[in-house]
Amino acid sequence: MFMTVALILTTMQAQKPAAAPDLTDPEVAHVAVTANAIDIDLAKFAQTRTRTPAVRQFAQTMITDHSAVNAQAAALAAKLGVTPADNAVSQSLQTGAADARKSLEPLQGAAFDRAYLDREIGYHQAVLDAIDKLLIPTTDNAELKKLLVDVRPAVATHLEHAKHVRSELGGASGK
Amino acid sequence: MNWLMAVLLVAALGGAAPPRTHTVEIRGMEFHPAELTVAPGDTVVWINRDIVPHTATAKGWGTDVLTQGQSGRIVARHAGMIDYACNLHPTMHGKLLVRD
Repeated sequence: MFMTVALILTTMQAQKPAAAPDLTDPEVAHVAVTANAIDIDLAKFAQTRTRTPAVRQFAQTMITDHSAVNAQAAALAAKLGVTPADNAVSQSLQTGAADARKSLEPLQGAAFDRAYLDREIGYHQAVLDAIDKLLIPTTDNAELKKLLVDVRPAVATHLEHAKHVRSELGGASGK
Repeated sequence: MNWLMAVLLVAALGGAAPPRTHTVEIRGMEFHPAELTVAPGDTVVWINRDIVPHTATAKGWGTDVLTQGQSGRIVARHAGMIDYACNLHPTMHGKLLVRD
């Protein structure tokens, strides 16, 4: 789903942290803003599609939380005079998001709910891994690093929330 | 008996401590402390230190949605064990034990 990120992380694990791609701070800021925006967009789509209260509530929490984080990130970028810079990791996240949207588009009802939650579980796990293994280690500015550290527990909580809702939906993963 | 003695007698017999205010900090997607013991009449204040909004919500009562830096309060009325959670993040839990 996130080939570039997965590839980068695999490479890092195989070759020690020295092999981590050295993103600049403006690039890290761009990845953070992109990751939040992707999840907000998908949650807005989910709200137009789902009829399940727990799924609707989960999607609303994604919109609320990722919007709050992005507001904070934008404020910090402005304060630091940083202009977020597009990069390969952001682009791979966007490609993954477009693929996910395409696969969710034809689904309805319980099949949609399950596939949306499966996607959210995979996405939040990938973002957590990226925060731990890529973004925090590569960030130079202390305030930007602190923002990533502060955001991590929210992403972990979203992952648990998604797993909880998914388990209540029942049924097998996939379509 | 003058009024002062009457007041002292009531205070001694009643034994009720003046109501206190307790603070629960919400940070790192957790309630700190996660379990709190208070007396009936005490006030509990939740303050949100996280970037994302939270609530402290139980059956029958709850704070408003608290954004970063905001706080909400309830007064504990009746003895008992109360489980509460964040409405926005149902995996976040806390407990209030209300007893004399």
